[in-house]
Amino acid sequence: MIKLTVSTLLAIIFFLLVVLFIFLMYLLVQRQRESYFEKVRDRYLQNYSQLWYDYLFNNALFSIVLVPRGRAQVEAIEKIFSSYLKNIRNEQVELKIKQFSNQYLKAFYEKDLSSRRWSIRMNALYRIADLQIDELLTKCQEFEKNNITDEEHFQLLKIYSLFQPDLFMEKIKNSNVNYAESEYRRLFVLLDDNVFIQFLHDFNSLPANMQFAVIDTAAVKRKMEYLDELKKLLHHDTPEINIRALKGLYEIGIIDEMDPFIPFVTSEMWEARLMVAKIFKHVPLTYTYSYLEQLLQDENWWVRSQAAKTIVEDRHGIAKLQQFIESSNDQYAIEMAQEIAARKEGK
Amino acid sequence: MKIIDYCMMFFGGIILFYMLFVIVSYCTMFIIAMLDLRKRYRLDLSEYDDAHIDAFYSKPVSLLVPAYNEEVGVVDTVYSLLNLRYPQTEIIIINDGSTDQTLQTVIEHFQMKPINKIVRTNIPTKDIKQIYESEIYKNCILVDKENGGKADALNVGINVSQYPYFCSIDGDSILDEKSLLRVMKPIILSDGEVIAAGGNIRIANGAKMQFGSIYETQLPSNYLVIMQVIEYLRAFLMGRIALSKFNLVLIISGAFSVFSKKWAVEAGGYSTNIIGEDMELVVNIHRLIKEKKENKRIEFVPDPVCWTEAPQTLGVLRNQRRRWHQGLFESLWKHKKMTLNPRYGMIGFLSFPYFWLVECLGPLVELGGYIYIVIAFFLGKIYYEVALMLLLLFVIYGVIFSIAAILFESWSMNTYPKKRELLRMILLAFTEIFWYRPLTLFWRCEGLLRFVLRKSDWGNMKRVGIAEKEKSV
Repeated sequence: MIKLTVSTLLAIIFFLLVVLFIFLMYLLVQRQRESYFEKVRDRYLQNYSQLWYDYLFNNALFSIVLVPRGRAQVEAIEKIFSSYLKNIRNEQVELKIKQFSNQYLKAFYEKDLSSRRWSIRMNALYRIADLQIDELLTKCQEFEKNNITDEEHFQLLKIYSLFQPDLFMEKIKNSNVNYAESEYRRLFVLLDDNVFIQFLHDFNSLPANMQFAVIDTAAVKRKMEYLDELKKLLHHDTPEINIRALKGLYEIGIIDEMDPFIPFVTSEMWEARLMVAKIFKHVPLTYTYSYLEQLLQDENWWVRSQAAKTIVEDRHGIAKLQQFIESSNDQYAIEMAQEIAARKEGK
Repeated sequence: MKIIDYCMMFFGGIILFYMLFVIVSYCTMFIIAMLDLRKRYRLDLSEYDDAHIDAFYSKPVSLLVPAYNEEVGVVDTVYSLLNLRYPQTEIIIINDGSTDQTLQTVIEHFQMKPINKIVRTNIPTKDIKQIYESEIYKNCILVDKENGGKADALNVGINVSQYPYFCSIDGDSILDEKSLLRVMKPIILSDGEVIAAGGNIRIANGAKMQFGSIYETQLPSNYLVIMQVIEYLRAFLMGRIALSKFNLVLIISGAFSVFSKKWAVEAGGYSTNIIGEDMELVVNIHRLIKEKKENKRIEFVPDPVCWTEAPQTLGVLRNQRRRWHQGLFESLWKHKKMTLNPRYGMIGFLSFPYFWLVECLGPLVELGGYIYIVIAFFLGKIYYEVALMLLLLFVIYGVIFSIAAILFESWSMNTYPKKRELLRMILLAFTEIFWYRPLTLFWRCEGLLRFVLRKSDWGNMKRVGIAEKEKSV
């Protein structure tokens, strides 16, 4: 019995060593192939980078030698394109890249989409969006019918948002995958205003994550037309949405009326009080001091700290704080005022 | 004679059974890791990085660098943090009452000027002496405090930090420029369901670097260090990835990990009276998650790379391993009630037993195996077979697993791309069971013993500084 086990063990070890040896050989061959691949790619980069530059930026004539032969050259072209697309905004260049990709790279990515490997399909979807290969839109829609992962689905949404916003609206509303807020932001931020505004109009029918992303995106877009929509959300039933709307309004930085904000000075949520203390930075101190004084004596540390910071930002802020320190009997508030004033003066 | 026979039978059986058990569990974890990495093989990660480099898609992070007598390495560490590709960070260097020139070095190098800053005491700590702000890099802060140990220094960092996430980095580690972006990925993509994430640690000895970034990795020439490189690869492929998949991670390295400040503060911050403060915090957070019945996760991220300096001499390595093992035992012992406790779910039923049996008590059994083989040799023929079987199991456990890990790493990540380096690592892996393994086992058992005897007088690792050493190579 034991003898058998020893020999079995030996056999297992031998078998494993053989497997590992084969794996090693495979790796070494693979590495050889990779280094050949890299050589071809680098040669292309070396020979044609200048030609590409001339074609894209100096209106030089397109040369047929630029058309890729094989994967290595496709990768070289991807490198050239992505370095320009990431660093330069130039519609003319983007258009040329788009046209070239639709004509000469499309077939490669179309093939990749039917790969069994998830990572290859993902890379293809990335490129379709980055290089704007809109001729693959129908292919993408067919691809969607397969059993795809959430990540692939997301990338498809991105593609739809770029090529056919109507389709995007339809898909995202009917999507039953819930993405992270930051992912929704990535989708929304590139949308045209007339498409994006629809999300604000249909706000209440969206899932929470999407709602948060809509508010945050509206804030970074900094458009006057979103201001009123955000103000409406201050009356929303969900506290988190009120806070986000306050934050968005603070970031836009245009406060044309005080009234919508006053109720939040006495809000039950300290985050809302904090945001109001921040928003008051954008309003002259004469209008806000009485509220800020109230917030300076808040029970929450962050609110007190923010109120003090907002006050000292104003020209007469330090004087106001000194006045407060002398007249108040709230020890915590006094300490906060003293420290913020000291810090401001120190600078 | 009879008693010896029974003893040999009994221990032989236990050790054999144990080895089989460990091999099966490592195999399972290896397969899970393989499937996981296979999926992402050749995925273009830069796409994610480029999309999330904007502050609009990420969350700000405070980077905490506790430094106690780190005058050699701290400047490089800070440079590597300044080099990070991440939209919004603040760097907080905490000088924990160093007795060398750490404070002066940092003040002079980054033109630190004293400032008044209000600090909110979320976690009680030793007193802060002075806070400085760099005149060159406005997001770089230096906190000078009374000596209180690494955990206390980190707690001060948490109190001073202003962002919702913090990342702890050892004063002698170098981060890859994309590492923070990638370690934050599960946190961002889960909308905060992941509340802590740890990165993959690699050994920096032998890497070439300049101003805090590694530009070429090279396998070090010191055999002891290469063995550690292999050991790190193994630990990562046969442990962390699989455990993380099922939210069972109990250790994310203190050398590079991100935590949600809210949860860390609620868990009481880092414990100051324990050796393995990083493991302790993770266990405390797990406990908190279960007690609050919340659906939160702690993850290990395979790609972000933090480079750290590995001990180059037996003496220093011995100290390190002894300390690690003592720390592990201490944390497990402190939370022993979580073991097999239904209240803590899978953590209680899988993680704890795994850490007890495989990670903590494993060295004792394995060392027993080595001793068994030696005794069997003296006792004569009848034990040869059992001893031989044990030896073969050690070969599978030591050699085969190590080679598999090296090859698989080389396939999926390719940190050491030269053929010669790959072959050198494989050849060295064959020698592991004869010297490196028994040595580390012995040191870990020493750690166990020291815990039982409550000893805690270990020295600090003598560092030469990663960059400094490179100049001399």
